[in-house]
Amino acid sequence: MGVIQTEALTKRYGSSSGVAALDGLTIDVDAGVTGLVGANGAGKSTLIKILLGLLSPTSGDARVLGHDIRTEGEAIRTAVGYMPEHDCLPPDMRAIDFVVHMGQVSGLPAAAARERAADVLRHVGLAEERYRLMGGYSTGMKQRAKLAQALVHDPALIMLDEPTNGLDPAARDDMLALVRRIGHDFGIPVLVTSHLLGELERISDHVVVLDSGHLLRSEATQSFLGDTGVVLVEVIGDAAPDGTPAQARMGEALAARGVSCRARGALIEIDPDRRDGIPEEQAAAVHDALRDLVRDTAADLGLGLVRVQPQTGRLEDVFREEAAR
Amino acid sequence: MTTEDRAGVIHDIGYRPYRGPRVSRWGIITGLLRHGALSTFGFGRSGKAKVLPFALLVMALVPAIVFVGIISFLGLDSELLNYAGYQQVTSLFVIMFVAAQAPVLFTRDLRSGVISLYLARPLGPATFALVRWASLVAAILAFVVTPLVIMFVGGLAAGTDVGEELPRWLVAMGGAVLLAVLLATVGAVVSSLTTRRGLAIGGSIVVLLFGLGVTAVLQEVGNEQGQETAATWLGLLSPFVLVDAVQHGLGEATTSFEAPPDDAATAAGMLLVALTAAAVGLLLLVRRYRGKGSR
Repeated sequence: MGVIQTEALTKRYGSSSGVAALDGLTIDVDAGVTGLVGANGAGKSTLIKILLGLLSPTSGDARVLGHDIRTEGEAIRTAVGYMPEHDCLPPDMRAIDFVVHMGQVSGLPAAAARERAADVLRHVGLAEERYRLMGGYSTGMKQRAKLAQALVHDPALIMLDEPTNGLDPAARDDMLALVRRIGHDFGIPVLVTSHLLGELERISDHVVVLDSGHLLRSEATQSFLGDTGVVLVEVIGDAAPDGTPAQARMGEALAARGVSCRARGALIEIDPDRRDGIPEEQAAAVHDALRDLVRDTAADLGLGLVRVQPQTGRLEDVFREEAAR
Repeated sequence: MTTEDRAGVIHDIGYRPYRGPRVSRWGIITGLLRHGALSTFGFGRSGKAKVLPFALLVMALVPAIVFVGIISFLGLDSELLNYAGYQQVTSLFVIMFVAAQAPVLFTRDLRSGVISLYLARPLGPATFALVRWASLVAAILAFVVTPLVIMFVGGLAAGTDVGEELPRWLVAMGGAVLLAVLLATVGAVVSSLTTRRGLAIGGSIVVLLFGLGVTAVLQEVGNEQGQETAATWLGLLSPFVLVDAVQHGLGEATTSFEAPPDDAATAAGMLLVALTAAAVGLLLLVRRYRGKGSR
């Protein structure tokens, strides 16, 4: 059974003709880590509020862990952990007291709440600091404490709204590793949002891309990142006597040899061989032949090859393709 | 140690799912109620958070202790133990307690943003708002009832007559409950409107302290102008005057103000209006929290 299903979920603010924060969104989220990507204002937080039963949709339906969002909000909120985007920690409390309290508010008995609070604080990496007032925490520690309170009641699903917000690169990597561990090692399905495409490709099994309330794509992360067949070439060397730079000389030479290519920044982008029906073993040969051709061309021109690299897909491309349409 | 994992694989990280019993909705409510009432007195918070509430409580207790002392050592009449009028004697401390501590339960949640965590918990916005309000009622009740208990018990120890004291004491206790409900509603509504603690404290002091002063003055003016009925109903402007009026009209307690109601019907009418106003205040509070949840 899926963890989250939505069916034509729509949320409009103001009058019925108002701006749609969500527009006919139909998605299906399974176990593992699911990334919810979109620019700021794409409707990520609105979707989470609706899924928690705190905001009612204008139309459409959704079920979270089998519970209807319109009628079973309490059951959903009992089973779900939520980490909001903004600051949400009382500065005059110690992390341990706070997490124990949030555990109890979620329905844990006092003794179990104390035990689990100590446990989850250790998991998120706040072992020593848990007896300090949270007002003195760094942003990284605050994010960890926020994550701990979302985990304390052992939720069956956890929703993380921009968990890497405001973190420096090292802390960002730690947080992403932690999110991945929750989804895979702890076995808790994760819905994690981010406006940064790059970071979700690394940790999520499935990516849902939102753009101003619309669903752009919902696919396994691998299908975004597969080999596109495009080869990128970078050369270094002298410009021609007439002033043509090395890159342009290389491009012209490749084109003269019948290779479809174009400049992309400092690189040359070579289009994949689109001939259909090439058997598997021959595809590798074609692949090698292209590389040999690039090498020979560069050698003939007296240029140095800096790189010859296959281009893998990136989440950014989803937006680029969409914009091109 | 047993390390189990949902996927059936043992990891050294040792995350343990929780399979034990969970508390019912009612259990969550009582737990939150207790936590809220205690944090009003600074428990579970930093050490200096306990200073103000307890200092105010001690100051509010001084008259009660002095009264009991006078009766014990000088053997004066037990008439000195004016239970019903006690809150008027210490009204300044009661008001300061409400003004300073109501923001702990309301403004603090809004300011730190922790409200969005509470609302994403099982109880939901409406119940949460009402539980917060009930915590404040309980805290104020503890504040106003403690001196009454000291006077009653101390008086009995000094040899006052139970049969004589008990009815008067019970009227004052009823008045204390009403006072706690009204003060908590004012404090809750005012301090849930702002995320600035100073503003919440100032606002509550203005509403309660000035309300008390203005009511007392207006009642006097009303009496001089021969508008006794209007003067009586003006008592609705301050919880203290209102409680005094209800205690006088329904419990025959001695009044501390200028224009107490003459008959029980007027007092009952005033009580009804005051409770309706409190209900409206609670409705506003719930609406405010519902709105917070959807943002």
